Amino acid sequence: MNKVITINLGGTAWQLEEGGYDALRVYLETAAARLARNPDRDEILSDIERAIAEKFRAVLSGYKTVVETREVETALKQMGPIETETNGPDNAGAESTASGQKSTAGQPGAATGPGPRRLYRIHEGAMLAGVCNGIAAYMGVDPTLVRLAFVLLTVFWGTGVLVYVIMALVIPEAVSPEEKAAASGTPFTAQEFIRRAKEGYYDAMKGFPDRNARRMWKRQFKREMRAHAAQWRWNWHSYWARRVAVHPGMSYYLPVLSLLLGIATILWVCALVSLFATGTLLGFVLPTDVPVWVAAIILLIAYGITVGPLKVARRICYWGIGESKGASSLAVLLDMIIRIAVVVLLILLAVCYLPDIHHAIQTFPEQAHQAADSISAWWNRK
Amino acid sequence: MGVNEKFSAIRKGLLEFLVLQIISAEKVYVADILKQLSATEFATQEGTLYPLLSRMRREGLLDYEWKESEAGPPRKYYQLTSKGREQLHETLEYWSQINGTVKKLGQK
Repeated sequence: MNKVITINLGGTAWQLEEGGYDALRVYLETAAARLARNPDRDEILSDIERAIAEKFRAVLSGYKTVVETREVETALKQMGPIETETNGPDNAGAESTASGQKSTAGQPGAATGPGPRRLYRIHEGAMLAGVCNGIAAYMGVDPTLVRLAFVLLTVFWGTGVLVYVIMALVIPEAVSPEEKAAASGTPFTAQEFIRRAKEGYYDAMKGFPDRNARRMWKRQFKREMRAHAAQWRWNWHSYWARRVAVHPGMSYYLPVLSLLLGIATILWVCALVSLFATGTLLGFVLPTDVPVWVAAIILLIAYGITVGPLKVARRICYWGIGESKGASSLAVLLDMIIRIAVVVLLILLAVCYLPDIHHAIQTFPEQAHQAADSISAWWNRK
Repeated sequence: MGVNEKFSAIRKGLLEFLVLQIISAEKVYVADILKQLSATEFATQEGTLYPLLSRMRREGLLDYEWKESEAGPPRKYYQLTSKGREQLHETLEYWSQINGTVKKLGQK
């Protein structure tokens, strides 16, 4: 006994077995995604729906009123994958080898085995620009974990946002189905989607069958997160404001601290880039038994340790300003100028060493992968 | 790579030409086109044909009208426009030219 789902296809109601419904939905979603940039998108989709409806009609009779999963799959197989001249061919069957290689830049065996992995931003199910989503797909972990890592990075070191923005700018978004497949390293075919649908891969989506409910949920979630963040900041500020004795001249430390912070940040960014680009730490060669990713983590922690106290001190100064009237506006202005100068300097450095940075970002996925491999090896040994 | 695969790109390119050819004979709907092609090397599927037909219609090569079918909802029947006929004529000429070239080259 199977559950039956009623759908509207080409203006007629159809009853499908649940598995068939999943397969059909996946097929139509894939079709819509592939035709996203096609000017005839709506027309082609309604043509496709009508053609599928016609196939369903052929398998039903007076007594048989439900389309079985098997019959849906047969109908979709007859339809074949949606193929247009612009988005690259992806035939099922014998003709796929030549075209498959073309779409994956000549990597051998790409059409049959698991496809090559690339780091992309994935927009589907993304909270912001899809960076975390893409990293999660790339490393094969839950996106929530990656998001959590970014949040922790932001809360403790304040670098998460910077890293996120850079990645959002640098990593391309997976647009075509081939790119989407490469983002998680699985081959893209209609069959693959049907297989995934069968395995319950898309079950999580069932909770959000309608787009508006999903959007509402997302909005609600973001609002709550913002409220939490505001509350947290307020607690933090009032905590420091209450406990620390404030001297009137304190605000003059503000620009000094900002300068130190800026220098630390610039040094840190340079070290990180040089680490990924050349494998050396600003000219110092790493000991042979220290992998690059370990060095990166050490660097991150070192940065946190140096910058943390500076930041706390800065915060205290900032709250000291509220108490001491006058004379502090100059300090704030100076502080702001220094901070802007640091950002400008960072951008200038980035422009000057663009090839190095580009190289660093390109080797980053490889390094991340090595890190994940060695961590899982270590875990298995335990 | 067999001959079959080598020519897949060419087959793909020629599909538009063959669809023009099929539609030029009579008003047809998609299942007719698929049926006529299925017996040939150019056998294809709806997933390929619908995007192709939509593009050709956008380019003004063909047009369609809705017709009642004996069982089920109305269907789209496609026919050539004058521009489509013109293009078919040109393509046929070019095709015979290519054929001639293929036969002529390499013979002494």
